[in-house]
Amino acid sequence: MATVLIENLTKIYPPTITYPHRVQALGGVNMSVTGNVFVAVLGPSGSGKTTLLNIVAGVETPTSGSVRAVQDGVPAQVGYVFQEPRLLPWRTVLNNMLYVQDRKSDRSRREAEFYLTMVGLNEVAHLYPSQLSAGMQQRVGIARAFLVNPDILLMDEPFSHMDALTGRSLREYLQRVWLHTRKTALFVTHDVSEAVELADRIVMLRPGGVVFDDIPVNLPRPRHPDDPAVRAVEGEVLRRFDSMEAAVRFGAQAG
Amino acid sequence: MTDVAQRPPAAPGPNDPYGQVPRTAPAQPRPNDPTTFASGFQELPTLPVGDLRPARDAGYSAPRRALRRPWVVQLIAFLILLAVWQYLTVASDRVPSIDNILSFMWTEVTGGSHGGMLVGEFWGPLGLSLQRYAIGLAIGIPAGAVLGLALGTSSWVRGLLNDTTLVLLALPAVVWAFLASLWFGLTSTAPIVAVVLTAIPFVAINFSSGVRSIDPTLMEMSKAYQVSRRNQTVDLLLGGTLPNAFTGVRLAFTTGWNSLLIVEWFGATAGVGWRARFWYDALRYAGFVGWILLFVLLITLLDRLVLRRLERHAFQWNQKPTLSFAEDWGM
Repeated sequence: MATVLIENLTKIYPPTITYPHRVQALGGVNMSVTGNVFVAVLGPSGSGKTTLLNIVAGVETPTSGSVRAVQDGVPAQVGYVFQEPRLLPWRTVLNNMLYVQDRKSDRSRREAEFYLTMVGLNEVAHLYPSQLSAGMQQRVGIARAFLVNPDILLMDEPFSHMDALTGRSLREYLQRVWLHTRKTALFVTHDVSEAVELADRIVMLRPGGVVFDDIPVNLPRPRHPDDPAVRAVEGEVLRRFDSMEAAVRFGAQAG
Repeated sequence: MTDVAQRPPAAPGPNDPYGQVPRTAPAQPRPNDPTTFASGFQELPTLPVGDLRPARDAGYSAPRRALRRPWVVQLIAFLILLAVWQYLTVASDRVPSIDNILSFMWTEVTGGSHGGMLVGEFWGPLGLSLQRYAIGLAIGIPAGAVLGLALGTSSWVRGLLNDTTLVLLALPAVVWAFLASLWFGLTSTAPIVAVVLTAIPFVAINFSSGVRSIDPTLMEMSKAYQVSRRNQTVDLLLGGTLPNAFTGVRLAFTTGWNSLLIVEWFGATAGVGWRARFWYDALRYAGFVGWILLFVLLITLLDRLVLRRLERHAFQWNQKPTLSFAEDWGM
């Protein structure tokens, strides 16, 4: 069983030439994710969501605190869907999939084709990324993340650069593949509707990278954004954000 | 569809105070009309298929269209060059005529004599030059690639050798040619060394800038996926470096050839450069110009028939030429 255990995680970026001040991206985050759950990390811009995922993926190092991403006691394999597709422009779709595989065997090729089929792209496996639309490229990114058979799936606002219709269609693709695999997923977003539609649990961050709430979403799947139950949860999430903002404003005034 | 004549007359309105915009009646759904949807929305009528030629050719007469063909333009430029050459031939006895050059070179190929001087050394000098050139590039390009990859991937190596490499890059081919002649004398080593030393900085600097131009987000992605070192080297590093590397290799091919010619001109007893100088010293301008033209022809053919085709194959994903001697003219 995959587990992500985050303890007192802090990340402070040092001053730079363009911004000569220290920036606290994460301020002592504690959370744990265990089992085949889909957890959304929800927060406004500047709340350290991407930093949190980058540290879990090992791309960045924390200033203090610890992150353990393990599968049955050994370091977990991570699949990462980035905000932008991050495909090698000089490799075909299929070769981009195989890039993350250690061995380019017939089996890995068949697996790559399977996941491309799951996201409806088996017909374009021989094309280059520049020949695909932005939405199709992001679908390749999703398929690639599942191809490595990840213990933990990390997704950093993967649909934020898409128009509403493409984003909706991609959410459907993601739900379909996730329901098939049921991987432990950590999904970062600033879109409340997206979080409620996809997640089993919503962890809410406020600016400065502090967890202030954690809401379970016990709704049947697949979910539809127009479903009244989904809307009710959205309303509850927004209400809690408003309360947090009011509390922060009040605290600032009192201070 | 409502005919224009049946449309209601234009009348002033809030957005059209002068009544200039003709009003059209809303489309009415018609039964059994495949272009009409049930909602009443009517599909736009299909426009007649017109001229499907590219826009740049549309509207030109047939002769003008022909004049816009790249190969026709190239042919015209070649004919103009020949005409100018022929005029200079008539105007000055120092410029050999084209037929004189061709005849001289043919005699070089087949054997024979020109004005009592035995000629017929064509394949020997040409083969020797090509051999030296190939050996020089076979050493210079991989050496430059290794140096370039080291410069691109290691800040320590960059700090140590980047400035030196830039200085070497700034040295013209003729300097390498003279240095190689001084060091190795009238041997085959001098031209080979000159080609190697000319090629290395061009290849190294371009490989290095290619490595550093790789999108850092792709490296982050590779780190997150724990991509194997082999895949990172082959797919990310070499794949991402390829456009710049190709530029470096093409520059190495051209400058290496120049360098070879200069060394052979001044410090060799055989080769294309030596043969050109031989006829220059003998005041046989046809032979001198013929060998120089052969030199230009060979490097042009190499670029067009080999390098550009390789480039096209390698850059199917981009289709932007890295460096060309001419625009893409369909070769």
